[in-house]
Amino acid sequence: MTDPATPSRAEILQGTLEMLTLKALTLQPMHGWGISIRLRQISGDVFDVNQGSLYPALQRMLRRGWIRAYYGDSENNRRARYYEITRDGRRQLEEQMAEWDHASRAVNRVLRFATQGA
Amino acid sequence: MAWYHGITTAFNALARRGREERQMDDEMQFHLEMEARRLVKENGLSEEDARYAAQRAFGGVERHKDSVRDERGTSFVEDLGQDARFAVRTLRRRPGFTAVAALTLALGIGASTTLFGVVKAVLLTPLPYDRPEGIAVLWSSWKGFDQTWLSYDEYEGWKADIPAFTNVGIYSDGAVNLTENGESERLRAGYIDRDILPILGVKLSLGRGFTAAEDIPNGPRVVILSRDVWARRYGADPSVVGKSIQVNGQAAQVVGVMPAGFRLPLDFGANGPTLIWLPLGADAESNGAIPGPQFQKGGGSHGFYGLARLRAGATVAQANKQLADRVAQLKKEGVYPEEQQFRAFAVGVEDQVTGRLKPVLLVVFAAVGFVLLIACANVAGLLLVRGEQRRREMALRVALGAGGQRLSRQMLTETVVLAGLGGALGVAFAAIGVWLVRHNAPAALPRVADAHLDPWVLGFALGTAALAALIAGLLPALQATSVAPQTELRDGGRTATAGHARLRWRQTLVAAEVALAVVLVVGAGLMIRSVVNLFAIDAGIRTDGVLTMRLSTPAAWYPDSVRVTAFHDELRRQVAALPGVKAVGLVRILPLATEMGDWGLQVEGYTPPPNQGTPGDWQIVTPGYFEAMGLRLVQGRFFDDRDVMTAPPAMIVNRRFVELYLQGRQALGAHVRIGGQDAKDPPYTIVGIVDNVKHNGLTREVKAQFYAPQPQFATSPGNTSRNMTLVVRGSGKPEQLINPVRGVIKGLDPRLPISDVRTMNEVVQQAIAAPRFAMQLLGLFGVLALVLSAIGIFGIVSQVVASRTQEFGIRAALGATPRNLLMLSLGSGVRQAGAGLVVGVAVALALTRTMTTMLQGVTPTDPLTFGAVVGVTAVVAIGASLIPARRAAKTDLAKVMTG
Repeated sequence: MTDPATPSRAEILQGTLEMLTLKALTLQPMHGWGISIRLRQISGDVFDVNQGSLYPALQRMLRRGWIRAYYGDSENNRRARYYEITRDGRRQLEEQMAEWDHASRAVNRVLRFATQGA
Repeated sequence: MAWYHGITTAFNALARRGREERQMDDEMQFHLEMEARRLVKENGLSEEDARYAAQRAFGGVERHKDSVRDERGTSFVEDLGQDARFAVRTLRRRPGFTAVAALTLALGIGASTTLFGVVKAVLLTPLPYDRPEGIAVLWSSWKGFDQTWLSYDEYEGWKADIPAFTNVGIYSDGAVNLTENGESERLRAGYIDRDILPILGVKLSLGRGFTAAEDIPNGPRVVILSRDVWARRYGADPSVVGKSIQVNGQAAQVVGVMPAGFRLPLDFGANGPTLIWLPLGADAESNGAIPGPQFQKGGGSHGFYGLARLRAGATVAQANKQLADRVAQLKKEGVYPEEQQFRAFAVGVEDQVTGRLKPVLLVVFAAVGFVLLIACANVAGLLLVRGEQRRREMALRVALGAGGQRLSRQMLTETVVLAGLGGALGVAFAAIGVWLVRHNAPAALPRVADAHLDPWVLGFALGTAALAALIAGLLPALQATSVAPQTELRDGGRTATAGHARLRWRQTLVAAEVALAVVLVVGAGLMIRSVVNLFAIDAGIRTDGVLTMRLSTPAAWYPDSVRVTAFHDELRRQVAALPGVKAVGLVRILPLATEMGDWGLQVEGYTPPPNQGTPGDWQIVTPGYFEAMGLRLVQGRFFDDRDVMTAPPAMIVNRRFVELYLQGRQALGAHVRIGGQDAKDPPYTIVGIVDNVKHNGLTREVKAQFYAPQPQFATSPGNTSRNMTLVVRGSGKPEQLINPVRGVIKGLDPRLPISDVRTMNEVVQQAIAAPRFAMQLLGLFGVLALVLSAIGIFGIVSQVVASRTQEFGIRAALGATPRNLLMLSLGSGVRQAGAGLVVGVAVALALTRTMTTMLQGVTPTDPLTFGAVVGVTAVVAIGASLIPARRAAKTDLAKVMTG
């Protein structure tokens, strides 16, 4: 059973999902399906999560004020719910990317050291 | 700004939940459609395959929707609703548990709400006067009289001399016959001076109060009606004001109608409130008022209730200081002899009305709080057991991702729903309880019968229910969080350690319950002993089989004492002839019903100490009274038909009279002159001595008392007693005599109204109404507490037995006899009860001191009561433990080991 004190794999994935979504939204406002297409494109289908998991994540980011939602016309003239990134969202994205950068550099260093030591 | 978004999102979600749901549906539908279309276009799938593939890639729609809902940030409110629905479902699944728990809470809530209704009516509702805190009741007191009426001199003196008073008024009471359309009714009447209503600040609902011109001797005949009489007798007709009605056989003009529920301050707790008011001046001839600035020696005749309005900012204590100073000065002037120990004092009107009932009510209210606590403890215990049974369910839910906090909240919600049920049921109980109180409250308890369910009382019930939910639910809720799925879900799931912690909590609860119950039962025991002692007091009369009723012979119809006597004689003759009547007589004042005043005497051969008189409480009777009331003759004879108006005046005195005035002398044949007798009239001769009657109260000191035959007293000193009480002793139930006796009176004079029809036993019960009230309620609560505690003990022993079945099986296998097992499990209940007993006795010893004033003939630490309570509690505890313990003794080894 999981220990509630440490973040689960799902939580880690969720954090990543948020970061990638925010990143995708820096280019232009998109609706949910559009975001899911973009995520698959930019990640090269690495993040093979349920497409549905995107929506709870969007709702969470809405609540935290990282993104905003509005209604607009979609490609085939249907009204769809579009999301756009807010200033808070950009700041959040920068922080997360810096953290990610920091962490991945550290991991790289370890890996390099490990290779040298071998 | 995140918090701001959080709040607005949550708010939006709440306010527009339906819209959000639709938006979410649309959005997900849009996604699936777009994805399917893409798959058709890019992968060349058929439309149907594409739809399935899109759904597969999306995952469970409902699951994602749930996640979105969770993320909306409204979960707290929504969870609450969900928890409540869940709680209702859970509770409905276990109707037995729910019924027991809800009933237990309902008993506690219902009892405390009822009592709060009484406390509110008696103590919290202001008296119906203007600024009641500024009104004081004035009294006099001297040796042998703790609290007696004011004299006219004192009234005038205090009005002029006490700076703390802005106004002083006096009133007295009596009874009048109201006749309307040939139908008579006897009403208690108040004779009030013109200042009484302004002092009380009462606004009449119709008409006006009395004017100075009306408040004079032989003034105009005017009356004020109570709203009740106005509505009942005159159909609430406003035009009655100004009209003439028949009072005591004479015309009197109605000048006003009192507001609904108006009572004079001393009418609270009286057997019947005054219902009609006349100017005091009109009654002056009979009340002995001698207006004037001078104090008579001894202050004159004391017969008025005094009321004072305090100056703004002045206190009752200040008034008392000023009264004491003034009295000291009057003593110096020789008005009041030093030996008389005269005192004048003021009592705040609220103290006066409810002061005596207040400690009783507070004790009973505290007791009902204990019952509520015990009920909560019991329900907490029940919930803990259920928590035990549901641990696997809880563990599973924790494993599936339910937060511990969420689980506690769910448990707490369950208790809240339970308390809501208990509260609703409790309000129903309280409605019954308040109804019972209203209809059974003795009239002697002021304002108790005014108790009713109002929004405040209902609010109290709500508060009590909330408190009960918190007390009963907190512990089980906290216990629910400490579930460790790892251990719980392991095969078998029997863990000793966690179970022990819970058991310890339950044991503490049960011990606390027993302790509270002990305190209550001790209180009840002390009250029962007090009331038994009160009943055991020899009042000097035999009350069984005695019926009493008041009637009066107004001067308008019976102008002289000859006619009054003739009526009494004929009445006695006809009532005595009724089947089942053993004795009949009439008396001026019924013992234990109304206090009696005294009359100055001269006893031949007795010289009172300087500045002291020879007072005797005066009782006027007809022949037959002594036999009917069952007085004991010590010496001589009772009155009989030879004691007629023209016979030599005869007197009967009580033992106390002989002790005080005839010590060491031959009492029979001694001569006594009654104050006001003409010098040429013959003195009274003592023809009999009777045992003391506790006329003024069972626990009050008996004073010297004399009895004179009605016709002789009417001749000399010349006072016709027109208000008399008929006393009839029958061989069967006294109630059966009511109609025959009424028939006799109606046959003799249909105009005469009858009032205060009571058996003598009812009179005695009303005389000790307050301690009886306390005894009945404490007794009821004590029994309730014991039953609840027994249920608690039963529960804990059952739990212990159930959790140790395996162990018992093994013990049985190793040679333990059923008796061993019985003792083993019995111990688990008895130990808690023992601990509770010890704590309870200690607490009771500390608390019963507050009851001292309510007790009679028993100390607050009465060893007999404490011993009996310990015994009863022990028996109840063992009894409650025995039932489940016997199950343990029958533990079937084979079944346990294979099962």
